[in-house]
Amino acid sequence: MKIACLHVPELSLVAALRAEPQLCAEPLAVVQAGRDLGGRAHVLGATPAAQGVEVGQMLAEARAICPRLLAREASPERERAVAQAAREAAAAVSPRVEEAGPGLVYLDASGLESLIGDDRAVARAVVAAAERVGVRAAVGLASSKSVARLAAQAASADLTLEATTSGVGGGAFRVVPPDEQREFLAGLPLFALELPDELQESLRRFGLHSLGEVASLPPGPLAARLGPEAALLSRLARGEDASALTARPEPDRFEEGEELEWDASSIEPLLFVWKALLDRLAQRLLARGLMARELLLGLRLADGSWDERALDLAAPTREVAALLQLLRLSVESRPPPAGVRAIRLSAVTTREVLEQMPLFGARGASPTQLAAAVARLSALVGPERVGRPVAPDRWAPFAAGSGKFAPPPPPGVPIPAPVEVSLAARALRPPRTADVRCDASGTPLLVIGEGALGGRVVASAGPWRTVAEWWTEAPVALDAYDLELAGGLLIRAACELGTGTWRIEAVYD
Amino acid sequence: MTLPARRLQRDLHALDELLRNGQVRRAPAFLPRAPRAIPTGVPALDAALGGGLARGQLHEIVGPAGAGGTALVRAALASATQAGESCALIDPGNAFDPAPCGIDLERLLWVRPHDPVQALRAAEIALEARFALVALDLGDVTVLPPPRQPRGVIQVVRFEKKPPSPGASPWARLSRRAEKHGGALLLLARAAQAGTFAAATIELERVRAQWEGPKGAAGRILRGAHVVSAVTRHKRMPPSAPLPLHLPLEPK
Repeated sequence: MKIACLHVPELSLVAALRAEPQLCAEPLAVVQAGRDLGGRAHVLGATPAAQGVEVGQMLAEARAICPRLLAREASPERERAVAQAAREAAAAVSPRVEEAGPGLVYLDASGLESLIGDDRAVARAVVAAAERVGVRAAVGLASSKSVARLAAQAASADLTLEATTSGVGGGAFRVVPPDEQREFLAGLPLFALELPDELQESLRRFGLHSLGEVASLPPGPLAARLGPEAALLSRLARGEDASALTARPEPDRFEEGEELEWDASSIEPLLFVWKALLDRLAQRLLARGLMARELLLGLRLADGSWDERALDLAAPTREVAALLQLLRLSVESRPPPAGVRAIRLSAVTTREVLEQMPLFGARGASPTQLAAAVARLSALVGPERVGRPVAPDRWAPFAAGSGKFAPPPPPGVPIPAPVEVSLAARALRPPRTADVRCDASGTPLLVIGEGALGGRVVASAGPWRTVAEWWTEAPVALDAYDLELAGGLLIRAACELGTGTWRIEAVYD
Repeated sequence: MTLPARRLQRDLHALDELLRNGQVRRAPAFLPRAPRAIPTGVPALDAALGGGLARGQLHEIVGPAGAGGTALVRAALASATQAGESCALIDPGNAFDPAPCGIDLERLLWVRPHDPVQALRAAEIALEARFALVALDLGDVTVLPPPRQPRGVIQVVRFEKKPPSPGASPWARLSRRAEKHGGALLLLARAAQAGTFAAATIELERVRAQWEGPKGAAGRILRGAHVVSAVTRHKRMPPSAPLPLHLPLEPK
């Protein structure tokens, strides 16, 4: 059994730098969230450039030590996204993944050698997968969960901070082979484990400072003196960990979030933040070979309420420009009632559509390209105005609707069929009302309509009566005529039976 | 000449060396046959266009309402979709009638922009997505530049939408997109719009409507229309002679 542990130390700091990677080389401290805390906020993490600043200091104290210190408030939204990204990075390497906590993921590394290589290559692949989603991680690989966790902790000492295109890099790994396990554990200090204070104090009084010293003691008497927790510690110190990895199914939602330092009340700052969030989301989807089939936007408003909306995409996509347009369209059409304080974007995912390119002939539109184009067009004109034309099952003349555009795959050998060119009707939606003068028999003589839709009638045919849809709220009862106007224009006009109103429904072209 | 396989195995740079010396020349890249043009449905018109609507080119149909421009666009869409190709119809006038007309509607993406500027952008997006034929129906609208903002006015935009702009030369951009992505762009307009950016211009004229039955009689029906078409400008072909067309009307 081989277990790898992916750990993200200083989660708050990594989350802040993932959003602003350019600050990696700057003296930066991430402090407790809370606008009323001011200088009393505690430091949760700091970059190496912030010399002298340590975790637990108050911000005022840290600023006194490092005057150039930049401060960012910890953001739960960003940290959630980092934790999720770390989980996805692990899932990109192994199918069996267990998330033990925010930024702490175990993965089953057994059998990966044939795919990736030896243990070092596997650990390196996990570090690289985390960096692809903008997360700096420490990775440990050993034969059990607890040793892997300790190995990851040991690797934390080798971490650096590097800005990458997708976030923060500089991860490190430590591999502990089974034959070196005892030696590795023996050298670890007891404070490397999160032991209860009481037990730690008791061990210190006994003069025990390292795991090796604990492992050398007989477990029975140790447990008799210090209780069951000491027995557990003794087994751990000898590398005896039988806890199994509990793999959990992959969530079908990918989330990214951001908290704003001010209340955004216009679209421009939101666009700026959305772009960054979508870039990271697209990167994560790409790493997992997924696409978004639905996008959920959550806006936390100044009054603390959430404005949530779902954007049903016309087709799966991970194209940032199209998704950005859709978000913009959604907020422009229904502006939030108050300023925005935090943003959460969730993508409901689906598998990427793979395409087979043709060997001969011109390359046509692939399903992915079509999907992206439909999403972009939906963003441009609105999703209700893009789709496959559908003739609805109604009696209303020239009725049209649109359905989901999902063209079937092209035939292997297209057979050209003769096409007949016939006069087509250009529907006027909605029909234009017109004043029509008729003779005594009811035959139209003159049409007075808007623009070119008017003139003397030189030829006509009709009426054709349609009485239908009387069982609905929009009954159809009309007499239709084909008319040729003096200029040569051919139109379809209709007189409503109930009101006597004339309307022009289509132009023949 | 042939190169001994053993030598190739021994020294992979041998081929590069021979290529540099000119002893071995690269064969021309394998070029598949030029893709078939999209037929318009009128054989005489296809002949005048050199086989139909060439891919990677902008074609323009110009004619008054009733001259059959929409009929030609639908015939081209029918011919492309029946061949299994995906097509897009950009229809800012919302004028498309999906009644049975030979078009495989499963393969047609119908886009109804709100204004001509959106229509031009939508056509660009459709061309980038490699639709085989993109039909831009400007039969009911004209492309007009937006009104200019007075100078020195600071516009405060909150959640409202900004007015779109058609850009400097939409036709140059569209013809470049068509050429780059290999799709045919068919523009229908009432007056010439694309100018020299169109590879071919088809002009249409109304002649007369065809009625059946005595005037004023109850059974009189509109049978269709006679029109004249001509390829008045083509980048590679001479202008064609007037081509008379009869467009029958299916009873609705």
